[in-house]
Amino acid sequence: MREPSDRDLVRGARRGDREAAAALFRRYWRDAWRAAYAITGRRSLADDVAADGFERAFTALGRFDDRRPFGPWLHRIVANRALDLLRAERRLSDEELPDTPDLAPAHGAGDRSLLASVAELQLERRVVVVLRYGVGMTPKQIADALDLPVGTVNSRLARALEQLRESLEVEHVE
Amino acid sequence: MSSEVERRLEGLFAEAPEPDPGAGEEALHRALHALQPVAAPRRGLRAAVLAFATAVILLVIAAGSLAAAGALHVSIGARAKPPTTIQLTLPRGANGIAAIVDGRLSVVTKSGFRLQGLPASAAALSPHALYVAVGNRNSIFAMAPDGRRPWSRPAGGRVVAIAWAPDAIRIAYVVHLRHRFALHVIWGTGTHDTVIDRSVRAVRPSWRRDSLALAYVGAGGKAIVYDLAHQTRSVAHSRARGAVEGVAFAPGNLLAVATDSEVGVLRRGLNQLQDHGQIAGIGWTGRWFAVAHGGAHPVVWLTMNPHLGQIRPGGTIDAFDAEGHGIALAVSTPNSTRVIAAVSGDNVRTVFQLPRQAAISDLQLG
Repeated sequence: MREPSDRDLVRGARRGDREAAAALFRRYWRDAWRAAYAITGRRSLADDVAADGFERAFTALGRFDDRRPFGPWLHRIVANRALDLLRAERRLSDEELPDTPDLAPAHGAGDRSLLASVAELQLERRVVVVLRYGVGMTPKQIADALDLPVGTVNSRLARALEQLRESLEVEHVE
Repeated sequence: MSSEVERRLEGLFAEAPEPDPGAGEEALHRALHALQPVAAPRRGLRAAVLAFATAVILLVIAAGSLAAAGALHVSIGARAKPPTTIQLTLPRGANGIAAIVDGRLSVVTKSGFRLQGLPASAAALSPHALYVAVGNRNSIFAMAPDGRRPWSRPAGGRVVAIAWAPDAIRIAYVVHLRHRFALHVIWGTGTHDTVIDRSVRAVRPSWRRDSLALAYVGAGGKAIVYDLAHQTRSVAHSRARGAVEGVAFAPGNLLAVATDSEVGVLRRGLNQLQDHGQIAGIGWTGRWFAVAHGGAHPVVWLTMNPHLGQIRPGGTIDAFDAEGHGIALAVSTPNSTRVIAAVSGDNVRTVFQLPRQAAISDLQLG
């Protein structure tokens, strides 16, 4: 039997079909969570961000243009939610946070130096790196998702890659 | 062309961890709850509805004519048996009421906000019930009357008690960490999260009316007052025999404390508690100190001595809140679990009725 398309599931969910909505959720939950995790670096934040993302997406499903792909639209919501949260948190620089980033220990030791360098990227650059290499979105899709010109996405990616290259080279020399 | 860094990045993200299954289930529940079905326009259905409406209108006109002529007696709203479950309703005169039933939040506010079934471990209404702060899994978040979440913060553990300051600027919450409970204060905007005490008891804190101090129960079972302006804490000495299990600031900044069997209002030179049997909760409603007694003969006393008023709920008191101008009680009997409330001198009314197996773990009147 043919697997229902995203559009079928979106249309079903819009009509109130909870099975269709649940299928849509299951299809994208893992990717949304992993994107949230890659941006925030914390499991607990990723739980919240991804759940919020779905909640907002399902609330706004009536306004979603189902001729467009669902995944990038959802990732846009998740990425923006993660950005909002991290920006709010960044304003609390000198305050005690109840949770510390747990990105590094959760990963294997394989590329910890690269991981540390990614974590040091500016938030705006980190997000485009995550969406490009973690979620697999094209620069055009990232631009649509973040409401940015494609040129800005490309320049952020280029600068982020340059910074990562430099930091890895420095580490190699040391 | 893909560079070495790009290849390593792809490999790095491919190794990212997987979400917890529990988080997915909860997120799915939230997402389905947010689903707002949009009816697809169907011409056939629309025509059928139109025809039905026309028929009803004609029938009503005909019935009205017959009734006017005395040939037909019309009765609308025939009496039915009262339902076993009553949805949470707003007590007359209250701004809002929130209850956690079997781990799920029910809330209704004067502004028209109604929510039922959100998984939650603790909740607190803001002053005037404009927002509700909710603890859910390892997070604390605020909900606006339209269901939006203006903010959400990781709490580092399960949130077990929340209290919103009277000026709405701060929220105190108690979080269960691995081997202890910790008291935090966070701003009502979801920022400035600060640990006040790393080891406390799982008791809802009580704010002083000026919002500049809060009382809580320390890990040793003593009532402690934390002064936010000076960032100092002091033990509220009482001659309690056991550990303090409840704290409540009075309008005049007096502090009432309760153990499981004693209760008292701490005044200068007067810190003796009175034996009151089994205490289910304490609070203040207006000028009146309210003590909810559990045990074999549950009763809520208003004021201390002499007892000026009392409510006999007719069942075991599972949860209790006294705030502002009213009180609310969760009462269980062999037949049902219900919430009764009385606000601003109104009679005691049942505002929530559930099957008897339901457990109400947190209750707040706003």
